[in-house]
Amino acid sequence: MKFSYSLIKKFAPGKYSKEELIKAFNTYSFEAVDLGGDVFEVPNTAIAHRFSSGSSHLGVAREAAAIFNTKYIDPTLNKLSFDFKDKGIFKVNIKEKDLCPRYSATYVTDVKVGSSPEWLKDVLETCGLRSINNVVDIMNYVMLETGQPLHAFDADKVRGGIIVRRAKNGEEIETIDGNKFKLSDNILVISDEDRSLAIAGIKGGKYSEVSLNTNKLLVESANFEGVGIYKSSVKLGLRTDASVSFSHNLSPELVDLGMKRALMLLKEICGAKIHKTEDIYPKKQSKTVIKLDLAKIEKIIGIKIKKTEAQGILAKLGFSISKNLITVPALRNDVEIIEDVAEEIARLKNFNELPAIPPKISMAVGGEDDIVLIKENIRKYLTAVGYSEVYNYSFVSEDKLKIAPAEIFGIKRSVKLANPLSVDFAFLRNSLAPYLEKNLKDNLRFFDEVRIFEIGKIFGDVVSGEEAKILEKTILGIALEGKDAFFELKGVADGLMEDLGLVDWFMPDLNLKNDLLESQESLRIELGDHSVVGYLGVLKSSSKGAILELDLEKISKAVIEEKEYEPLSKYPSIDRDISILVSSDMRVGDILEIIQKADPEHVNDVDLMDFYQDEKFGDKKSLTFRIVFQAKDRTLTDQEVDRELEKIVSFLKEEAEAEVR
Amino acid sequence: MDKLEQIKIAAEREIKDASNLKSLEDLRIKYLGRSGELTMILRSLADMSLEEKKIVGPKAQALRMELDSMITEKNKKLSERKRSVLDVSRPGKKIKIGHLHPLSIVEKEIVDIFRSMSFSVIDGGPEVETEYYNFDALNIPKNHPAREMHDTFWLEKLGNKNERLLLRTHTSPMQIRYMETHKPPFQIIVPGRVFRYEATDASHEINFSQIECLMVGKDVNLSNFKFIIEEFFARLFKKKLTVRLRPSYFPFVEPGLEVDIQCVKCGGKGCNICKDSGWLEVMGAGMVHPNVLKAGGYDPREYQGFAFGVGPERIAMLKYNIPDIRMFYGGDLRFINQF
Repeated sequence: MKFSYSLIKKFAPGKYSKEELIKAFNTYSFEAVDLGGDVFEVPNTAIAHRFSSGSSHLGVAREAAAIFNTKYIDPTLNKLSFDFKDKGIFKVNIKEKDLCPRYSATYVTDVKVGSSPEWLKDVLETCGLRSINNVVDIMNYVMLETGQPLHAFDADKVRGGIIVRRAKNGEEIETIDGNKFKLSDNILVISDEDRSLAIAGIKGGKYSEVSLNTNKLLVESANFEGVGIYKSSVKLGLRTDASVSFSHNLSPELVDLGMKRALMLLKEICGAKIHKTEDIYPKKQSKTVIKLDLAKIEKIIGIKIKKTEAQGILAKLGFSISKNLITVPALRNDVEIIEDVAEEIARLKNFNELPAIPPKISMAVGGEDDIVLIKENIRKYLTAVGYSEVYNYSFVSEDKLKIAPAEIFGIKRSVKLANPLSVDFAFLRNSLAPYLEKNLKDNLRFFDEVRIFEIGKIFGDVVSGEEAKILEKTILGIALEGKDAFFELKGVADGLMEDLGLVDWFMPDLNLKNDLLESQESLRIELGDHSVVGYLGVLKSSSKGAILELDLEKISKAVIEEKEYEPLSKYPSIDRDISILVSSDMRVGDILEIIQKADPEHVNDVDLMDFYQDEKFGDKKSLTFRIVFQAKDRTLTDQEVDRELEKIVSFLKEEAEAEVR
Repeated sequence: MDKLEQIKIAAEREIKDASNLKSLEDLRIKYLGRSGELTMILRSLADMSLEEKKIVGPKAQALRMELDSMITEKNKKLSERKRSVLDVSRPGKKIKIGHLHPLSIVEKEIVDIFRSMSFSVIDGGPEVETEYYNFDALNIPKNHPAREMHDTFWLEKLGNKNERLLLRTHTSPMQIRYMETHKPPFQIIVPGRVFRYEATDASHEINFSQIECLMVGKDVNLSNFKFIIEEFFARLFKKKLTVRLRPSYFPFVEPGLEVDIQCVKCGGKGCNICKDSGWLEVMGAGMVHPNVLKAGGYDPREYQGFAFGVGPERIAMLKYNIPDIRMFYGGDLRFINQF
């Protein structure tokens, strides 16, 4: 809403500059922004709860008067004299009382339609409205002044009377701006006996528009229920000052104030003669009375408040007080409960005057979520080993959904947005991989090697009728491109799992067809109970790239074991290296399994020391393992170690057809 | 010449001539080792007569000590000769470390400040929400323009369910979710990702982060809120900052406030960061609305509290002078590695 500073000063005269007024509103009332000249703006969002008092110059002037302690001049209190004793020829029939709580109409004659006086044009221009003619301008001005939207029909075009009814399905109307709308029965119209004359609370119709030839008017001041107007406005794609106001649940008590002012000005400016007003208001807005519970107010604000001070503030804002009861002004229909009253008092005392008081804090026994700590630990570990963190969008294009093996995380169907911003962002991501892959590529333009990770949510759709729900998982993704990428990533994964406190995990072949990974060069990550928690593999898009995804919720549930001290062996370990030649398609994993099968005693560790493939070996490759022997209770003898080693060698010869070199 | 004399001459010459540590070690073994020449003589003392022992014993001992110190001396010399002096003015070896995303750094700083004030950090909760948690339970009425402040991404309907799902527009739904399952008093901080359906530009993104704070107890009040946020901003920007509170409207709080801090760049004089106002708008806050407490399962006559939401992007942009919010979501390491 735009406001005129000089008009505010008319209603709340005082010695304050525009700058002071804006500063005061920001401090005590609501956000106000200086737009230069005579204009300032209060965003609708700042007064969304109190449109009845916040969207009008009178309401805002009342705030100013309360803040600056000045007079408040209310022109709606002036006397209006009618020129006729009767209501004229028109009847009003409200068919939808729920959607139209109040409707008033006044028959006005002898109207001289022409241009508006300068002061009126100035106010309209300041507030961003165009001057049309004096009648339309008065309607608009009164809305600015009182907050009540008004409409004037050319009375010669209205046949019979006013009927407030639902539109017939398919009924058409041309509005004053020349646009045509097809209506349906959930839209309210103002009609006469023949046709609809206006879309109720939104816009007037062309047919009964006031023209320079008009000399009789039917002036409408009515109240329409907010939700209905809001829905109609959204449905028609038609947003007007009136529809915005009504959507904010205007008080029906504004109706007679607006009508009164409009009639005064029509007499004054257009020389009009006025009949008595027909006012249908079956269910009056009830008075809100709240007990002035000072103790509760003090408890909310945190400081002592004198009763007289509280009463003084409320009185200035138009509240009436008797004993311990406060009656809320009709136009302050946002004030309903004691908390609302506390706000009125606290803001007019100035929030900045409040002391800063340390709260009494109870010990946090709930503690922290495991996943919060896991995320922190992962960030610490991965940055320490050289990986940088990226954040990507939660949205992806449809083709990106098909890349990663999302089914490993239980995601089968993807989640589509009903109102995407663009095709690139039409779905929720089902994997972190597509963006990580892109990050690798983008960064390789500037770096020789790239190491990145991301922690974020992925989404899937688990559909089964009424039980339909969204699967949402917190995932860690790691990607790198560089020398020996896959084995670095595998090592990082092992290191991370150990660092997080996991004790048992496996990495068997992935065996899952997908467009992200080389099928022969990808593994799944399983926990001790063989539940799948992730995957890693070589990227199809680049043999030097590798990627991993890990389900952090499953990981965090598995991290329960506390580390336990194991006594250090007092006896030395003995290392033995064995080099073997095996068929080049024999995998290290298989050989490690064979060694395990040989079941040697006192083996502490088996490490692959060297891997060598050369033409001179033909279709064989050379592998060197270091086997570490150690006993807890004694120093092993060479003979003992040799005996165990021999067990291993014979198994390798037997099962892997290995040649010992 | 007796045996000892021969050993002495030979050993002294050989030690003197030893050109590397390996040959020196060999000499030590040759003379002083377990079966070294001198060791053998010392061992044979046991078989000698008392007379012989008295003559040979001290001599042999003296020689052993002499050779030992000669070897030690020589060892020192050889070791020194072996390596040239380090040029310690050379730059250190580059150790590659990774960098945290600036939003993670800021988030951690923020939650750590609250942790130190006894707040618990709670996981961000669901990013896909129901209308109930995102709006209704937070006192944001249906079919009211107040919902328009939240430009919302909606999901296509699932199955035959009637309820529409959305991407949460703020972290405030976590107020309800937490209250539903916990008893007051408590104080929590909840970092999470939120979404807004709007055109992106230097200060708007379609997804961004938010940190929700909620403190509920029997008498948690507005003055307590003031204390907590003043403390928070002073620690976050590592200086005492003037905090300004302005009345504002958010349906889920009453009273509702907007919190400004004195511009961290110009200190309030006015600059391009604060658009010459001297102030920066940093969070929306207020006392939790009784309807929200009720939705969380609490009796508002018994419990009250405050809540606020702060945006890590905004804080990071201020702290690090980052001009464009979109940089956070580009995955560009030239940007991230600066933090």
